[in-house]
Amino acid sequence: MSDMPQAGPVPQDTQTLTTDEKATASPPPAGGRKKAARSASLWSDAWYDLRRRPMFIFSLILIAILLVMSFWPSLFTSINPFDARTCELSTARQGPSSGHPFGRDSLGCDVFARTIYGAKNSIIIGVTTTVITALVGGLLGLIAGARGGLTDTITSRVTEVFFAIPSILGALLITATFRDASLGIWLVVIALSILAWPMTFRIMRAAVLTARGQDFVLAARALGASQARVMFKHLLPNAVAPVIVVATINLGGFIAAEAALSFLGVGVQSPDISWGLMIADARNRFLEAPLPLVFPAVFLSVTVLAFIMLGDAVRDALDPKLR
Amino acid sequence: MRVTRGARIVAGTALLALAVAACGGGATQSGDSAAGGGDTPVRMELGEPQNLLVPSNTTESEGAEVLAAVFEPLVNYNENKEAVEAAAESITSDDNVTWTIKLKPGYTWHNGEPLIAQNYVDAWNYAANQDNAQGAGYFFGRVEGYADLNPGEGKEVTTKEMSGLKAVDDTTFTVKLAAPFSQFKVMLGYTAFYPLPKAAFGDDGKVTAAFGEQPIGQGLFKLDKPYKKGTDQTVDMTVYDKYPGTKPKGWTKLQFKLYNSSETAYNDLQADNVDIHDALPASAIASAKTALGDRYQDQPDAGVGYIGFPLQYNDEYKDIKVREAISMAIDRKTIAETVFSGTRAPADDFINPAIAGYRQGACAACTYDPGKAKEQYAAAKGPAKLELGYNADGGHKEWIEAVANNLRANLGVDVTVKPFEKFANILDDLDAKKYKGMFRMGWAIDYPSAENYLSPIFSTGAIKTGSNYAGYSNKEFDDLVAKGDQAATAEEGLKLYQQADDVLIKDLPYVPVYFYRNNSGYSNKVKNVKINLLNQVEWAEVEKA
Amino acid sequence: MGRYIIRRLIQAIPVLLGATLFIFAIVFALPGDPVEALAGEKRLDPNIVAIIRDQYHLNDPLLLQYWYYISGVFLHGDFGKTFAGVSVSQLMAGKIQVTLNLALVALVMEAVIGVVLGLWAALRRGRATDTAILASTLLLISVPTLVTGFVLQLWLGVWLKQTVGFEVFPIAGATQGLKSYLLPGFVLAGTSIAYLTRLTRTSLVETLRSDYIRTATAKGLSRRRVVGRHGLRNALIPMVTYLGADLGALMGGAVITETIFNLPGIGLQLYQGVYLREQPIVVGIVTILVLVYIVANLVVDMLYAVLDPRIRYE
Repeated sequence: MSDMPQAGPVPQDTQTLTTDEKATASPPPAGGRKKAARSASLWSDAWYDLRRRPMFIFSLILIAILLVMSFWPSLFTSINPFDARTCELSTARQGPSSGHPFGRDSLGCDVFARTIYGAKNSIIIGVTTTVITALVGGLLGLIAGARGGLTDTITSRVTEVFFAIPSILGALLITATFRDASLGIWLVVIALSILAWPMTFRIMRAAVLTARGQDFVLAARALGASQARVMFKHLLPNAVAPVIVVATINLGGFIAAEAALSFLGVGVQSPDISWGLMIADARNRFLEAPLPLVFPAVFLSVTVLAFIMLGDAVRDALDPKLR
Repeated sequence: MRVTRGARIVAGTALLALAVAACGGGATQSGDSAAGGGDTPVRMELGEPQNLLVPSNTTESEGAEVLAAVFEPLVNYNENKEAVEAAAESITSDDNVTWTIKLKPGYTWHNGEPLIAQNYVDAWNYAANQDNAQGAGYFFGRVEGYADLNPGEGKEVTTKEMSGLKAVDDTTFTVKLAAPFSQFKVMLGYTAFYPLPKAAFGDDGKVTAAFGEQPIGQGLFKLDKPYKKGTDQTVDMTVYDKYPGTKPKGWTKLQFKLYNSSETAYNDLQADNVDIHDALPASAIASAKTALGDRYQDQPDAGVGYIGFPLQYNDEYKDIKVREAISMAIDRKTIAETVFSGTRAPADDFINPAIAGYRQGACAACTYDPGKAKEQYAAAKGPAKLELGYNADGGHKEWIEAVANNLRANLGVDVTVKPFEKFANILDDLDAKKYKGMFRMGWAIDYPSAENYLSPIFSTGAIKTGSNYAGYSNKEFDDLVAKGDQAATAEEGLKLYQQADDVLIKDLPYVPVYFYRNNSGYSNKVKNVKINLLNQVEWAEVEKA
Repeated sequence: MGRYIIRRLIQAIPVLLGATLFIFAIVFALPGDPVEALAGEKRLDPNIVAIIRDQYHLNDPLLLQYWYYISGVFLHGDFGKTFAGVSVSQLMAGKIQVTLNLALVALVMEAVIGVVLGLWAALRRGRATDTAILASTLLLISVPTLVTGFVLQLWLGVWLKQTVGFEVFPIAGATQGLKSYLLPGFVLAGTSIAYLTRLTRTSLVETLRSDYIRTATAKGLSRRRVVGRHGLRNALIPMVTYLGADLGALMGGAVITETIFNLPGIGLQLYQGVYLREQPIVVGIVTILVLVYIVANLVVDMLYAVLDPRIRYE
């Protein structure tokens, strides 16, 4: 399966949250009033729960380190990898030496400095893509779920089209096509967002559909609340939790997807640095000199792990049923 | 020009080696027919040919390699890099304009038809006709009447023949050129000049698809069955009984095995699953030297890699001092050794060492001298920002980045490295003035003559019709090449070409960076593997070990 | 049931058309001229370019080109020809075989490893084994294919070969039968194995809590029988759903794995098609993958009915 949060098979994490109209064997949702009462304290409950999870604390520490690395890389290394004078071609592919703990890459540049500077693009792409897909997918899902009818039918059909396109291949095509548009890393963000928003859409829509039939919503409507008020005041707060869970889990996936696209040559472009790009550059001589590939790979994995752990912890906290 | 094998060597991976599309087929067809008993084939590594196997539409190395086994060219090339008659008895001209070609007796097509002069006339007229859209049609551009078959886009072709091409009798034909060209005989060993049998043409006068899958040749090997591109993993052939030339001793079957990566092929070579691999990847060189020992071969290959200046598009590069400084700032030796692991050699002339006419160290500004480069660049007030474009489909990224780093470090300038999808995109953007920077360029020869490194890339005429992408124009150079073309003897011609080469070295419209090398290896099961100037195996000499 | 299938198939038509049109439009917009891409580094004669462009309708508007294409596919089963004149159907046939082999090997590994680990974890719920299995699934999900691919290539391909003296797992190519697919199959299956393990564990845990299991245990049935016969069968539904839908995802996601292991499948082919601007190849492959996705989803829905008697489609 591809690294990008894939639309096809719904992973367990989301499946328990998605109540599609499809007949499933799961029991009907709990009564409305009860749930509304619980949701008021859902967040404080979750926060209480999270603080006591070592996995959550651990992932937060990792993410904090990564953030510092992204914005102040010079705290970690004195070598500026964008300065060509730090590269020495005749030392290409040499192993670790003093001052160069990760050795040199195939152009004789310092692997450690490049790895540190590579964090930035991963974080930026991961976070912005997550925010965009959560906002776009969430909003459309809210509207489709709340209004139903033709709006719902059309948006749902459109999402099905995107679900049917394999995400990595689709993103590959989009980035390859608009490569000359000088969008830089934002092209990656756009491509990933275009293919990933339907997932948030589907989850939000399902959650809204569940909430819509509940008594307190019907009551609000009966009391003459406007459509917008119902949507944002009553439906959204009751449906936002699953979206947040999926968004956090997806963040790690987007970072992996960026690396995959850069590896395929359509993501971040040189001289900009990305772990995926470093892996691609080192792969030809991987068997001779594995280190220039291994280090960015380890950093990439740890970063994805940090976000997935965070997502896991948030899910457990927000979805007590799973405990 | 051909898509070079070099591209594959550098890329070394399926990732970007697009010249070598992936090979298909299920895992079950391993193509290893050795178990079948009887005559086990000699197995040769091959990348997937791009097109159907039609000589006049084959401009890349893989298809050419298969066709070279099936067809006998008019000339072959000996160890002294000279053209010697093969299917031709003699090739002569008094004035370098009208050439008379007599055929050797005894050659027949694999379907039994005798080989006649008309077969050449038909094939060449077919190749040159724009309606047939043949990729190698440009090879006939020097023949009188070529223009009639290529009136231009949207215009109707009114004749089917080039006026310069005449079959005198069954064994003789004459070729009249539009202008004198002393190197014509040297050209004739190439794929584009192979003849075609009557059976190749369908009722509509076009070469049939069936022929493209199972070409009928007049050479050493006959295809056993049609080659279905995309499904077949091998191309199998057997020595043709009635072939009049030298046949290999002790074996009769040849099998090309398709690989989509030269690394995979190298693994198979070590395991004796394939016998000959003539495009070892850079990553395998160190291991090949020790693992193969004597069975590893390293010889010059006629290709050259350059950095080109957009002379007609951008005045920033107009000053020769700037170009010289850039040239001196490139550490060719280290690039050849580390980036290419010795699959390239540092370039020091515009003419490649594989070809007669090369002079060692001819290009003085090709010597690495960072100190002088920096000084001269500053004195000439070279641009503070440079751009360096390359096509991302050929595995050029690493060496281009290395050159960029050289320029950044040694000249103290900003260098932006710009990848383009394809080489043609660089040219389009230059034309459209969207891109104004330097660009990478490679040249694999069309025929083994010093002239081929000069006129097609640097003559004024080649700006419109050839590969003169820099837009370089120098009358002195054009005149010297023209004189060489008309020279009475080969030696005299060569001297004039070398003088033209000197003009290039003085002007540096491109800077030569590296010469290709051919790195090949063979298994324990064969010996006496020789690879010729065209990077094709001399099959008649191969023996089983 | 029959009517339900027909309705689903009709619903699939706009999805198929939408997805292929989207891809077609993007490929259409790819920079550079597909015909010139044929020529490598030499510029093609403009006459020849014009003639080929005409032959392939490249000068027509997008929708018309799309119509030529899609009608060819569905009315004549013809995926067109590449610009080099080779039939796309023929070209794809061999590559699809490779990708399908890869995806099936991955699916089998996923099913076996995922179910076994999930079952094990569920039965040892809350204990060290459970925690260890859960932790390793977290790791499998986190480490991108890109990384597992190279790491396993190095360890199980190269180092193991050096240690034991012969090639246990080939690291590249599809020339050694099933053996060639083991390593890439595992790499491709990695994330899915982790998801399936978790899924199996969760559904089994939930099922084992339900009343009828308690009844079965109370009846005095052996634990093996309770888990195997009653528990697993009911936990099967989400697992089968996941596996079925995953086949399409595995095939579509194979591009990285195929690139790392040099497997000549459709992922690699599509990747090269993008660079060569071979519209017919790119659109052909995506069309096939979309079809696989649609059919797989349909089959999964049918399976629901088989596995869960409560579900009936009208």
